[in-house]
Amino acid sequence: MLTIKGLVKRYGAGDPVLKDLELEVPGEEVVSVIGSSGAGKSTLLRCINRLVEPTSGTITLNGTDFTALGKRDLRIGRRRIGMVFQSFNLVDRLTVMENVQSGRLGYISTWAALTRRYPKQDIQRAFELMERVGIAHYADKRADELSGGERQRVGVIRALMQQPEILLADEPTASLDPKTSEQIMTLLRDLARELKLPVIINIHNVNEARQFSDRIVGMRYGRIIFDDLPAALTDDAMHEIYSGIPHADRQVEGEAA
Amino acid sequence: MTTATDHWRKPPFIANPVLRYGLYAAVLVYIVVTLSTLPIDWARVSQGLTRAGRIFGGAFPPSFERSGLLIDGFMESLKIAILATVGGVLLSVPIAFMAARNIAALPVYYLGRAIIVVARSFHPVIVAIIFVKAVGFGPFAGILTLVVYSIGFVAKLLAERIEEIDPGPVEAMKAAGASFLPTLFYAVFPQIMQRQIGLSIYQLDSNLRASAVVGIVGAGGIGATLANAFGRYDYDFALAITMVIVGVILISEAVSGAIRKRIA
Amino acid sequence: MEQACLQEWSRYTPQQRFTRYAWFALAALVVSWALGSVDIIWAWVWDAPAQMGDLFRRMVPPDPTHLGAILEALWDTVNLATIATALAVVLALPVAYIAAQNTTPNAVTLWIGRFILVSSRSVNTIIWALLFVAIFGPGIVAGIVAIMFRSIGFLGKLLGEAIEEIDPKPVEALQACGASHFKVVLYAIVPQVMPTFFAVSILRWDINLRESTVLGLVGAGGIGVILQGAIDTFNWQEVSMVLLAIIALVVVGEVVSSYLRRRIL
Repeated sequence: MLTIKGLVKRYGAGDPVLKDLELEVPGEEVVSVIGSSGAGKSTLLRCINRLVEPTSGTITLNGTDFTALGKRDLRIGRRRIGMVFQSFNLVDRLTVMENVQSGRLGYISTWAALTRRYPKQDIQRAFELMERVGIAHYADKRADELSGGERQRVGVIRALMQQPEILLADEPTASLDPKTSEQIMTLLRDLARELKLPVIINIHNVNEARQFSDRIVGMRYGRIIFDDLPAALTDDAMHEIYSGIPHADRQVEGEAA
Repeated sequence: MTTATDHWRKPPFIANPVLRYGLYAAVLVYIVVTLSTLPIDWARVSQGLTRAGRIFGGAFPPSFERSGLLIDGFMESLKIAILATVGGVLLSVPIAFMAARNIAALPVYYLGRAIIVVARSFHPVIVAIIFVKAVGFGPFAGILTLVVYSIGFVAKLLAERIEEIDPGPVEAMKAAGASFLPTLFYAVFPQIMQRQIGLSIYQLDSNLRASAVVGIVGAGGIGATLANAFGRYDYDFALAITMVIVGVILISEAVSGAIRKRIA
Repeated sequence: MEQACLQEWSRYTPQQRFTRYAWFALAALVVSWALGSVDIIWAWVWDAPAQMGDLFRRMVPPDPTHLGAILEALWDTVNLATIATALAVVLALPVAYIAAQNTTPNAVTLWIGRFILVSSRSVNTIIWALLFVAIFGPGIVAGIVAIMFRSIGFLGKLLGEAIEEIDPKPVEALQACGASHFKVVLYAIVPQVMPTFFAVSILRWDINLRESTVLGLVGAGGIGVILQGAIDTFNWQEVSMVLLAIIALVVVGEVVSSYLRRRIL
């Protein structure tokens, strides 16, 4: 269970990107976060594993307050949160297996990492997962030899190798063509069910969000303005999430204040 | 469901094991053989630390007492660099045209290329020592050396630039009935002029650097002053000279970079 | 009036022309100052072509009597360049690491790294050699250390720039996995810098091969020692033999390094 309370992120002296945000993700559901660019979706996700340092508020994952962790504990904590990226973020010049095993870097010894002598059970798990998504025969290929969809599968498996308690996906399909994009979304949903893993997905494609998630969160200018079942996402709600420009929105707030 | 394999090794850099282990063995043998056969006088080397101590002890603080000598040496280096750049750049232009495949006839082209290859093959210090023997000690040998050095660099790059020019204007000039030289002046020069000025300024900077070095073997300039100071164990003066050389190089690099940026 | 204007055409406006002439004048002034005050005995200059021709005649044909000794010195030169490059590569890695803005631990280490690079780069190999001959005595050790000192700056600068230009996304991904700093370097930075690392090392080896041919002229070992000896004894035919050997070495070095570049990259 992930609980976010009073989360604020402010860059410099400007307007905060996240404004006093509250969110709770219990159990094993797939949550899609939608909203126009600049709504703060990506910042929200990166605050959870503190790739972006929150300004204030608390983020609790299964009893651990992530905002309170020191440098070393944060590293151990990050092992419990898997992340999938828009541009895959693989190391192109390493093999697929090395990329997959890099998800275990938080666990294995430096010597094992250096010599690429990974623990037997890690290799076995990697092959199982790679077979599950159909890329096991690529284990020895370099990551940059794979197609976009295959690369994102590697990205997903790298995150799953961590045996995470939650999976964060930041626009995982935005760099893919529609068909591949649907495959990856199916995969994320199915894996989430198989592994009983909560997943938070930032996504631009509202149809995919409706089709693949159990719950949809709509963000606008650093606030959550919609949080309900996919069926409840009406045209009016959509309009509210995607309308307006940040500048106008700020002005309205200013007048209200 | 089949149990997945629990074994994986990174594919080795060289797939063929014979070749791979052969390469490892060859590298090992090379290291052992070289280290055991290099002509090294370990007894002399082992005195290095105490000597280094004495040298650095003697070098600090750097002495600018004979700054007159230092300034003279430096001015001579500057003159060498300027004259060598002018000479080298002027000579580079015809040689570059000779070495450009799209301008020169084949025999001329080979001659031009040969001049450039020979000019590039030898380190300026070797060229300098030959010129010192041929024309005597002093800045003249230094100028000749750096002229050769400049030709090797400027003529090569200029020839490449000439080979890349847009043939359109050349054809237009020829179509208008212009002869060889006017074609050169109106259709080719405008296209290479900017590059040529940039190259010249760059070469002035690198000649200034090189002039500090060729002096060490007797070709004049600040290098000669430095070699003398070292020879007479005036380490404090040598340090002062080195500091000036480094300072001048940094300044000239910055200035030439700024000028080239403005021109480009 | 209008017609008169149209009849005249010039490429530059008067002001442009003035600046151009000013630059020309300045250049001419500087050159004539250099030419007028440089310490040259002009009689020697007019004599130079004859002297050069004379020297050249004395050089042919090259004398292969001491070919054995020349080849041996050539081999020492190759070893000198190779060992020095290998050592410099190892030492340049930590320097590049602290001289790159995105990996250096703090501002002080960045400053130290840059200082090492600048001081190594702005002192020429020959000047380093002068110093190390004074320290270690004449011989190959001084040459190795001199080449090494100069190469660290070159390698460190180019490697540091490669580190600064890496794609930061894999770094972020591995940090998100909970990998330690060292493992992030190992998995996300090292693989990205690898191609540059090899290319730069090979390039520097090629340069060092050329530079090590002249170290002997200041007593720092290699083929230059034989060249100096032959020049000192006016044995011009042997000089030309050594020069041919040096050309051969430089050409072979270029062939080998371009082969390695193609194989590895």
